Amino acid sequence: MKTPGRSARIMLPIAVSVIFLLLWDGAVRFSGSDLFPKPLDVLRGILELVEKGLLLKYIVASLFRVTWGFALALLVGVPAGLLLGWYAHAFAAFNPLIQMFRPISPIAWIPVAILWFGVSDAAPVFLIFLASVFPITVSSIAAVKNMQPVYLRAAQNFGLTRGQLFRRVIFPSCLPQILTGIRIALGVAWLVVVAAEMIAVNSGLGYLIIDARNAGKRYDLVVAGMVMIGVIGLVLDLLVRQLEKFDEVRWGYANR
Amino acid sequence: MSFKRTVLLSAILWLALITVLHCALNLRLRWFSGGEAQQEAKFRVGFIPVTCHLTCPVTDFINKQVNGENFFEPVRFNGFPELKEAFLSDYMPATFILAPLAMALREQGVPIKIVYLGHRDGTAMMVHKDSRIFRIEDLKGKTVAVPNRYSNQRLLLFKAFKERGMKITDVNLIEMPPPDMPAALYAKAVDAITSGEPFMGQTELDGYGRILYLTKDVWPNFISCVLAVNESAIKNDREKVQRLVDGIASSGKWLDQKMDHRLLAADFVAKQYYNQDPRLLSFVLSKPPDRVKYTNLLPLKKDFEEIERLGVESGILQGKVHFEDYADPSFAKDEATVQAHRWEGEKK
Repeated sequence: MKTPGRSARIMLPIAVSVIFLLLWDGAVRFSGSDLFPKPLDVLRGILELVEKGLLLKYIVASLFRVTWGFALALLVGVPAGLLLGWYAHAFAAFNPLIQMFRPISPIAWIPVAILWFGVSDAAPVFLIFLASVFPITVSSIAAVKNMQPVYLRAAQNFGLTRGQLFRRVIFPSCLPQILTGIRIALGVAWLVVVAAEMIAVNSGLGYLIIDARNAGKRYDLVVAGMVMIGVIGLVLDLLVRQLEKFDEVRWGYANR
Repeated sequence: MSFKRTVLLSAILWLALITVLHCALNLRLRWFSGGEAQQEAKFRVGFIPVTCHLTCPVTDFINKQVNGENFFEPVRFNGFPELKEAFLSDYMPATFILAPLAMALREQGVPIKIVYLGHRDGTAMMVHKDSRIFRIEDLKGKTVAVPNRYSNQRLLLFKAFKERGMKITDVNLIEMPPPDMPAALYAKAVDAITSGEPFMGQTELDGYGRILYLTKDVWPNFISCVLAVNESAIKNDREKVQRLVDGIASSGKWLDQKMDHRLLAADFVAKQYYNQDPRLLSFVLSKPPDRVKYTNLLPLKKDFEEIERLGVESGILQGKVHFEDYADPSFAKDEATVQAHRWEGEKK
């Protein structure tokens, strides 16, 4: 496959975006809907949020909740995944439970979150934690299980202790695959921000969408919230991909 | 810099930065200023941005204007399920809530007591302006959206059908959050919608909805939402519950005193509490002025017995609890003795 050049890599997505916006605008005009907003209405909605000083506040609130939920998921998910991947008995014991919890949508957890945490920031953080901890754990388990046995044999020859083995061999060799899991989990964490903010918090991009539904005919703000979530999601993904440029990770992708 | 150090450092910096920003922008630095304790001590009251709960923000606003602060903290929710769950988790001791929902919770053993009404009337059944539905009988075989199975809107439909010799199964009832109803009617996804205002008035204001009936025409002095408190608040915080009920009563009287007051309330509530277009709230509070009323809010046994009876017939209540179990009208004063707030807007 021929890789596109630098200018093509910039121009192609812009061209596709412009065509998408034109199609969107045309479709709204064609249908004659005065409820669904056109791209320009959405832009005006975003500018209105900027003028009121709400946009920055909402973005910060959502990023705060995703950051903490995701950080907790990393702190729990990666060590848990490495241990479960390494110790077969632990895996046999816990895997069914993990697989059972994994497919439950964070929306289903909303009532539980409110009953446990009230309507403070802790409830959405908990929901985001739940959404992201399973992909991280599962990808870490898979990373350990797929590890090349030659690393382990070498480690045994050097007489490493168990702690050293985890820190110096297992974790580094699993890092590239864990990072892929982290990328997916970050996407999921950001994805559930709308659901997580359906709880009575009064800030955040998810709240913006729910609040705009309450506000009558403000579908421009609903779509503005969607656009901001999309744009920030893109930026987050680009940032995580920067990690892949480090040597500690890049070796795992070298053969692509 | 090495991979480990870069990642660790940027992660810690980001965590610190976003936390400080969130505290500064959204939590107004109350962690740092020690304001948290004060916040905790406040008496929380739950509400949803509908006209049925209007007296909650009105009382808060006028108390702040007159006294500089308010003794209770209104907490806004976006739907009844979340509101109910926050009440169950003891996050707040008082809330505005659907009357049949409060009664059903009581049946399920929740220590909830209705102490006052939120309003009277204030609901409508809307159809699309192109629709051929002109009488309640025409709803036969149609799809009607109601807010919740425990909503009085559903009971009202039940009552209206019964009086016309129809059955509730003659229509296809679906539950839908009120904010989504206008768009559903616009797209003709449903044939009729019914919920609290301002979502019904919105379809009229935007020119695609037509009123099939206003509640006052089918069930005069209809009650949809009530002010309910946790029994522990009645036991331990009597004085606060009394102040709350008095404040709500004064706000109701104030709202029904003059059209100017309603328009004033429409403006500050829309801008500062509901985040809605002030035009919309002015519309539903004034056209016609008796679309929703905020006086005569004393909980009366006979009104609730009717709700109880309809609730049992329609299958949402079991009839295990009665007025004395789920209501405590001792805080409510006789309408004649209720004083309206003496506040006429800012004159600075």
